[in-house]
Amino acid sequence: MNPYLAVAGLVAASAAMFMLPLIPALVEFKRHQDDQPLKVIQEHAGEIRFFSDGFRNYINPLQAVLQECFASGGNAKGMLADGAEYLVLGRGEDALTLPLRQQDETCSLMLATNADLVLPADTTFSRDIYAGGGFIGGMENKYRAILGEKDVQLGHGSKVMRWVHAVGAFRAEECCDLYGRVSSDSSIRLRAGCTFLRLNAPRIEAGSSEQTAAANTRRAREAPTPSQSPRRLQDGDFVIGPDEEFTGDLVVRGKLRVGEGARVWGSVKSEKEMTIEDAVLVGGSLISATTARIGANCAIYGPVIAERELEIQAGTSCGSPEHPTTVSAPRIRIEEGVVVFGTLWAREKGQVVDRI
Amino acid sequence: MIYVLYGIVAVICVYTARHYWFTLNRLFGFQRHPYIDIDTADWPPVTVLVAAHNEEKVIANALSALMSVKYPADKMLVVPVNDRSTDRTREIIDEFVARFPGRIRPFHRVEGKGGKAAALKDAMELVDTEVILIFDADYIPGAGLIKQLTAPFFDPEVGGVMGRVVPMNCGTNILTRLLDLERSGGYQVDQQARMNLRLVPQHGGTVAGVRLSALREIGGWNDETLTEDTDLTYRLLLHGWKTVYQNRSECYEEVPETWQVRIKQIMRWAKGHNQAMVAYGLHLLFGKHRATPRERLDGALLLGVYIMAPFTMLGWILALAVFYQGIAPLHGIIAILAVTAYAAVGNMAAFFEIAAAVRLDGNCKRIRLLPFLIMGFTVSIFSVSRAAFSQVKDALTGAEFHWDKTERFRKAES
Repeated sequence: MNPYLAVAGLVAASAAMFMLPLIPALVEFKRHQDDQPLKVIQEHAGEIRFFSDGFRNYINPLQAVLQECFASGGNAKGMLADGAEYLVLGRGEDALTLPLRQQDETCSLMLATNADLVLPADTTFSRDIYAGGGFIGGMENKYRAILGEKDVQLGHGSKVMRWVHAVGAFRAEECCDLYGRVSSDSSIRLRAGCTFLRLNAPRIEAGSSEQTAAANTRRAREAPTPSQSPRRLQDGDFVIGPDEEFTGDLVVRGKLRVGEGARVWGSVKSEKEMTIEDAVLVGGSLISATTARIGANCAIYGPVIAERELEIQAGTSCGSPEHPTTVSAPRIRIEEGVVVFGTLWAREKGQVVDRI
Repeated sequence: MIYVLYGIVAVICVYTARHYWFTLNRLFGFQRHPYIDIDTADWPPVTVLVAAHNEEKVIANALSALMSVKYPADKMLVVPVNDRSTDRTREIIDEFVARFPGRIRPFHRVEGKGGKAAALKDAMELVDTEVILIFDADYIPGAGLIKQLTAPFFDPEVGGVMGRVVPMNCGTNILTRLLDLERSGGYQVDQQARMNLRLVPQHGGTVAGVRLSALREIGGWNDETLTEDTDLTYRLLLHGWKTVYQNRSECYEEVPETWQVRIKQIMRWAKGHNQAMVAYGLHLLFGKHRATPRERLDGALLLGVYIMAPFTMLGWILALAVFYQGIAPLHGIIAILAVTAYAAVGNMAAFFEIAAAVRLDGNCKRIRLLPFLIMGFTVSIFSVSRAAFSQVKDALTGAEFHWDKTERFRKAES
């Protein structure tokens, strides 16, 4: 073989081998298939009502039908522009008698009414529901999403897969699973056995009104005082004794225990476990890098964050009607009798329990 | 000579392991976003500083976006820090002041020391809120960003906060596309992994915030440095304040579109970073302060990232010299491992990190551009090495540093 040819062949083969991994790069460089900026949400701030607002806009074309059915008491069936089938009810209680369910006990119609809506039990509603009046759901139902212009009440053992928004009060009976977002412009009440992820309302109550009375009345008596003192940085564990008063922000690199009846006029952070005993008042925020346990009859005025797990006992309130706040942790357990003003957000699982 | 080469290879191996640790943590570890869920609160008053030096092309976009954010209007004051601009920046700012009375208080600086830190330092006379947020003029904050960047300050341990920067002009040319990949790796993996592992997330000086009491405690802005953000990160750390990174607090920025501008930018970053290394490196590692052992180690490695470029070049030169001197460079299995790490894995780790970041971002096809990053890395290595050498020369001759503003490419709003 001609040695020049051999060398040329070797160079060409080497060049081809070198170029091989560059071919996809050159193709992408030439075709610009993926050169758009990463999508950054500019328009909204992740508001909890984002989906319910969207749904309200979505069903807007049905307004005329809704009013007509409400006036006449009749029902109307049809299809929205995207092909979704709907059933508009003139009288909400018709849902109890109409053959809504298919053989698999699923209702695949989008239900809408301007009247009060009462739904049968043991049914899966696989499309969104709109109630212009109040909403009362039967036991053991499964819902995709609900928008209620007045009060919304879910029966025992119900499940919501995506979201609920109630303009009025929202109430879930025992053992409901709320997998998505639940919001109300008025209040949310969950009974024992309920699980939740993200809740938002001016007032979120766990348990009956008798059980949450302590947290609500306590709120009226005491108001937070902002702290002006410098923060204290504490290496190792730290204890604020019972009935002690601590002024200023506190950062503890170890475990923190706040004794019964203590008052903290500032924000508190612990790098390890945080234990807040009964009847403690914290004027600022409460942050734990691991777990936090808050005893009974406490009042926390700022945000409450635990990076792993959070437990709150009965009679405790977080935030106030004038100054709503956020309570957040991957896993949250709250006893019946707890009240949160604002947002209660469990990334993995939130539970209302009888007793911790 | 051979022992110097061993030393360089060893240090490169440490950085390689660090890249892999971060990437694997980001892919499989526990992800920390502790403050991102705070959407309801008694929001504190904030001051938003917008650093602007000859920013007529971009300042209107930034101010418009800030006027539309979802934060209580009576609790947010925007202070455009117009630093000796000679273009229409002042005029544009004053138009906004007239359009939004009471919401924008301009700081027009006509003289004084150059540089962003010096301008921010002077502008502090207008700041009386505990939370200060900082944006460069080419950034376009989204509706929820101010709340997201303010939320971490409910934690009394947090002194600084940093959001994620996303290039908006990434499709312009090969440089912007490569910078987009680098930014992904730097934020999506590097910064978030440091946050996850409780190490030292770096304050970026824009899409960022600082607590006024912490800033006062550490002595305010340091106008003797080229990168006030790196300087701030370390002074906060040494005083027991945490800087936190919020990966979901994203904001668009404009990246350089020409190599010349990019080289200037990275040289400034390298010089500023090296200043911080000299100023705080030893004290961070061995001094008496509030940083944890893992923060000391990670902080020191972070301080060394830019000095690794001249080290790598030195390693190449030494390897060649050793080879041509006929010295059997390395011995046995350890030698093979070290050379392999240096020649292959060491280089691959950064690529792996960027590939993982792009995948986490959900961008599938741009990952194909990865081989072109060799080009970007080569330019960076030479630019950063040049910066280091010129810095040494400046130190020996006593020359003063000067601050180069990054050129903008966006068309001015009419």
